Amino acid sequence: MAEPPKLRVLMVSDFFFPNFGGVENHIYYLSQCLLKLGHKVVVMTHAYGNRSGVRYMTGGLKVYYVPWRPFVMQTTFPTVYGTLPIVRTILRREKITVVHGHQAFSTLCHEALMHARTMGYKVVFTDHSLYGFADVGSIHMNKVLQFSLADIDQAICVSHTSKENTVLRSGLSPAKVFMIPNAVDTAMFKPASVRPSTDIITIVVISRLVYRKGADLLVEVIPEVCRLYPNVRFVVGGDGPKHVRLEEMREKHSLQDRVEMLGAVPHSRVRSVLVTGHIFLNSSLTEAFCIAILEAASCGLLTVSTRVGGVPEVLPDDMVVLAEPDPDDMVRAIEKAISILPTINPEEMHNRMKKLYSWQDVAKRTEIVYDRALKCSNRSLLERLMRFLSCGAWAGKLFCMVMILDYLLWRLLQLLQPDEDIEEAPDICLCHHRGVEVSEGLRKKIK
Amino acid sequence: MEKNLAGDSIPRPKWRKVAYGGMQIGYDDNYTDESFLEEMVMNANVVRRDLLKVMKDSVSISQYLCIVALVVLVWVHTLESSLDENSLLLLDLSLLASGFLILLLTEEKMLSLSLLLRYLVNISFFTTGLYILAPIYQTLTRSISSDSIWAVTVSLLLLHLFLHDYSGSTIRAPGALKTPNLTSCISVNASIVASVFVASRLPSRLHVFAVMLFSLQVFLFAPLVTYCIKKFNFGLHLLFSFGLMGLTLYSIYALHRLFFLVFLLLVLLVNVVCPYWLIRMQEYKFEINGPWDEAKLCFDITD
Repeated sequence: MAEPPKLRVLMVSDFFFPNFGGVENHIYYLSQCLLKLGHKVVVMTHAYGNRSGVRYMTGGLKVYYVPWRPFVMQTTFPTVYGTLPIVRTILRREKITVVHGHQAFSTLCHEALMHARTMGYKVVFTDHSLYGFADVGSIHMNKVLQFSLADIDQAICVSHTSKENTVLRSGLSPAKVFMIPNAVDTAMFKPASVRPSTDIITIVVISRLVYRKGADLLVEVIPEVCRLYPNVRFVVGGDGPKHVRLEEMREKHSLQDRVEMLGAVPHSRVRSVLVTGHIFLNSSLTEAFCIAILEAASCGLLTVSTRVGGVPEVLPDDMVVLAEPDPDDMVRAIEKAISILPTINPEEMHNRMKKLYSWQDVAKRTEIVYDRALKCSNRSLLERLMRFLSCGAWAGKLFCMVMILDYLLWRLLQLLQPDEDIEEAPDICLCHHRGVEVSEGLRKKIK
Repeated sequence: MEKNLAGDSIPRPKWRKVAYGGMQIGYDDNYTDESFLEEMVMNANVVRRDLLKVMKDSVSISQYLCIVALVVLVWVHTLESSLDENSLLLLDLSLLASGFLILLLTEEKMLSLSLLLRYLVNISFFTTGLYILAPIYQTLTRSISSDSIWAVTVSLLLLHLFLHDYSGSTIRAPGALKTPNLTSCISVNASIVASVFVASRLPSRLHVFAVMLFSLQVFLFAPLVTYCIKKFNFGLHLLFSFGLMGLTLYSIYALHRLFFLVFLLLVLLVNVVCPYWLIRMQEYKFEINGPWDEAKLCFDITD
């Protein structure tokens, strides 16, 4: 007889499977580990193509693909109050106690957090990226973040640098922000059973080929390294606008046999590409927390990375060689990596990674945050409005008006469809120790 | 220093700014160390301005305002027929000659004969083209009412003033480094269209040619001439500007008292009030830099 779940969490974000990325992975793995700890987790995201409605994933993870269309970069069109009815329905139906939003760029997340606060639920927010302060886009994004986080219970950041950045952007008190890193699925990323021979050193790069991920640095670094070390070859996985520049670089320096371009690598094949290499090169210009280097370290590769954002905090000094985002310094770092390569033992690195990072640990720490959030006192509407007024001379008053309207709309909805009329969904009891999976058999259209 | 319940005073290990290894013993996840925000740098790239320098720099703006006001004055006088076409043509020629002279005297680069000849050839092409196309301009807006023309002209001139590149010159001498950006090109186009509209209201072909030549000369080449003067000698630039201001104020006074007052107030606003306001606002500047910034590439990307 399973005991009732201790916490009932709703994860909200625009970014979830079938899209692949850091945020999506984080939500999925965190949800799975929370389910194993005995809590109930429901995920809410927007519809992806035809995938709309309710789906069940591994472990009984219920996913609501709300039929809102994404409009730019996978985020839903912001209608501010349009999501109130559906969020209310989901929260009542699943008897949620904590709402956990992910990623500042997700409009669905901000709207859901706002509605959850109006209805009196406890709210937690996780920020996964670093943002600047100076350009127009960042200024507006930071204002929206300030609004969202003015009334939040707790916040989580994935690295200490990310915590500093979030505190500066949103004006939150640092005591409210918890630092819980991402982790890596070490069971999936195992080193090769037979290590590839070190006669030819293979350097692997897997990233989107965009400006932000430092593809231009690669164009400068690769020819120089190939010139200095005749026994080094490169494997470049990933696709993007800078693909053309890399192809041109290959042609110009005649490196077709030494630089292999794989194109886009699906996530399931990343491990098989990683285990062919000895060194992993990451040239991003900004990273809050780089999961790619965790995956590489878990597969037993020595990492060479640019010293940006939260990267210096991610791995111990003997597993990573850091360089400034400058081609000469990066070449020097690769030289150093090649010289210490004989001392690296992939199996030992993998075992160390198992102890340093695990999703179970992340889930336990997140549980502490949820408990802390639940202990926060309930606040009346007036007390909450006071917090918004401090956001700015004009913005504060605008935010107050937005919240008041939200509150009135909620009351109207309660009048039209009382809380008792919303049918509560029964909890699906899965026997975790038998590992029974419920596949995508159940599909219900959301009214 | 945390002491555990048994009473042993085992100090907790020092907090490290790392993400690996799970929760650090003795510290909560929301622990904020003294080194929090240690690497934040504030106002690293902010230029501290001095009031006198800003006022001197704002003279360029009021100088250009005077030039535009003088052009509008000439237009008004021509439309009222108080300025006839011959004197206008004389004005054009004198302006052209003086502009050329100033360029010659202030240009530090070599003034080779071939360059000069090229300039002369370009100018003659330009003038001939204008003369031939003058009949087209004359009948261009015949079907449009005068009110619309004045309204469009005024709005185009305002657009021109807003988007004008006050720091340099859109039309550059050959070999100049800075390429003109979008807004300065839009402003030049706006001024040319405004001059075409005004010219199309005039009675005879010669009138149209004279006014078009005058307007285009000023709008296209005055920024270049003033830029050369400024580069040559700042004192001369200030003297020239004050002379222009005096001339403009006197001419507007002769025309209409109210406009004179408005223009005087505008010049005072630009030269005195705005610099003071800028200096006062400087103390609110808060630029934040830190390890979270996106790294800047130190090399140029050549596609």
